[in-house]
Amino acid sequence: MLATTVALALVAIVPDPSGSWRGVLDLAGGPLRFEVAIAREAGGLRAELCNAGECAPAGPVRLIGDSLVIDLTDYAATIAARVSGDSLVGAYSNVGNRGPRLIPFRAARGRWKATALPAAFAGQWDATLVTDGRASPRIFVFSEGRRGAEGAVISNTGDYGRFHGMVAGDSVAFSHFDGSFVYMFTARLDGDTLRGTFHAGLRTQTPFTAVRSTGRAHLKAPTEMTTADTIEPFRFAFPDLDGRLVAHDDPQFRGRVVVVDVFGTWCSTCHYAAPILESFQREYGPRGFTVVGLAYEVTGDTAVDGVLVRRYREKFGLTFPLLLAGMGTAELAAPTLPQLNGFTAFPTTIFLGRDGRVRRVHAGFYGPATGAMHRQQVAEFRAVIESLLRE
Amino acid sequence: MVSRALVLCLAAVAAAPVARAQAPAPLAAERAAFADWLATAPTSPFAAVAQQPIGSGLALGAAAGPGLEGLEKARVSVEAGRVVLDGLGTPRPLPRFRPTRLGRYLLVPGGTAATPVLTVFDSSRARKAPRWYPHDPALEFVGALTPPVQASSRRLLTPDGIEVEATDAGTVLVPFAGVATRLRVMRIPDPATGESELEVFFRDSTNAGETYPAGRFVALVPEGGGKYRLDFNRSRNPFCAYSSAYACPLPWQGNVLPGHVRAGEQYVKD
Repeated sequence: MLATTVALALVAIVPDPSGSWRGVLDLAGGPLRFEVAIAREAGGLRAELCNAGECAPAGPVRLIGDSLVIDLTDYAATIAARVSGDSLVGAYSNVGNRGPRLIPFRAARGRWKATALPAAFAGQWDATLVTDGRASPRIFVFSEGRRGAEGAVISNTGDYGRFHGMVAGDSVAFSHFDGSFVYMFTARLDGDTLRGTFHAGLRTQTPFTAVRSTGRAHLKAPTEMTTADTIEPFRFAFPDLDGRLVAHDDPQFRGRVVVVDVFGTWCSTCHYAAPILESFQREYGPRGFTVVGLAYEVTGDTAVDGVLVRRYREKFGLTFPLLLAGMGTAELAAPTLPQLNGFTAFPTTIFLGRDGRVRRVHAGFYGPATGAMHRQQVAEFRAVIESLLRE
Repeated sequence: MVSRALVLCLAAVAAAPVARAQAPAPLAAERAAFADWLATAPTSPFAAVAQQPIGSGLALGAAAGPGLEGLEKARVSVEAGRVVLDGLGTPRPLPRFRPTRLGRYLLVPGGTAATPVLTVFDSSRARKAPRWYPHDPALEFVGALTPPVQASSRRLLTPDGIEVEATDAGTVLVPFAGVATRLRVMRIPDPATGESELEVFFRDSTNAGETYPAGRFVALVPEGGGKYRLDFNRSRNPFCAYSSAYACPLPWQGNVLPGHVRAGEQYVKD
């Protein structure tokens, strides 16, 4: 009898949180909007984080007393919030070496109303961010997606994922939150110029101006970021997921056109590249083509990293070999690939001819959110592979 | 010119002095999370027993190194960009910014890729609860950040004792104790997140006995429209206040406020 009473009381305290929530992180510079989708599965409740309709698994949801906790498993972070009727109020917490970083979080049931993108904003913009007198280029791409206005931010090393857009008159706010990266930019159209602020985390703010792209290169070309030794065959030797050392001269690569995908499971842009590379593997594999992935992970411990890379392989159904190459920062990865100069980006895609020598190095990857830039890049990759297969 | 903020609030506080002790909810939540982290986290700064640059290699048991008991044969070095632990059987990599257990110790490689640093924690170390002054809304200021005449950067220590390249972000003018004092603001990067904070490391008369002698950090919060909030209620200690394992930042030249800034974190002595 007592057990029944307690169970009923618990049900009354926390209503079923399944469904869609309009989430907000209250940054110092304004509200960052995203969506949380909670679904009941066999193992319990699970959450996804969504930006402009694109959702990615976040982690399990726990109900504790009158509160809900989303464990963002990949990032040692949580969203903890009190459930009050149809609203959630709490904080996103990410614990770093300097202690917890808290960003106020709130949510209400439902989805963000899609706002149409006015023609005045649509298209590609050349942006210049200025921090303490230092300028840094970006490209903004604004388009009308299936959930209304959406955007992409592209740097010299790739894009930041899909941004959800809100438009009000001559002002816009585009936001992206994946559980770790907290990005938003707010801007106002001033004549032909967009003037605004790029927000990262709770209070890192960088002012920018942007003008419509003229077609002149604003970013460094992805093929100009990193150079390579093209005289000697490209060398690598790293353990695969079964602990077997696999080198560049392994029989599975000999005499074949090889694409080396330097990636990390933590790198969201790499997630966009993986299915494209797999499609090339399936299409061109029978003609003497192979992809090999070199994983640079968070821990450098093969036991831990192996689990992450296996999960990545299963997620994208990858059939090409994946090797555990090292630790996931450009500074730490560079010494393990001594034939590259100026290695700066994950992913970096290295195209090798049948003789094993480097023909092209492509830094970064433009994800689907970048629209035409993504399509053009995939077409270039395809053209390079076909050209190398004909050699 | 920085102006005093919350003039109306100050008037309200004077009429109702009880409110002075209550921190606003977001600040109270931050303090509660920080206090919980100090008290319970295995890598709480109170648990730090050593922090040293890895340089050409660190012998963990050596007197010149961290001097860890029972680890006389262990050595940490950097090989091909990885931080590697050897001397205890098969060499094993140590993940950056993540703890690896070794006996009673936790090893956390951090710092920048160019100058990696090893911090060692021993969870059994005693901890103390942090203590804050009652909240004082009169010690919040909002104003403009005057940019530096010329862009520059210099190496300095972060609150957690890591040497980074910080850029000069300018100055703020703070009207306090009847004097307008110009405080230097530096943009300090966090190697672990890629984000940065606009920090002021300052000293004041409370350093003589109530707050940490080397000074305290306080981060500027952007308010929009080129304005920033400098809230001394958010002042916090460098980690050397919790453990002598951390290197203590040198006071920033000129960042000295006249009088007692009785807001933010206090120093809980032994």
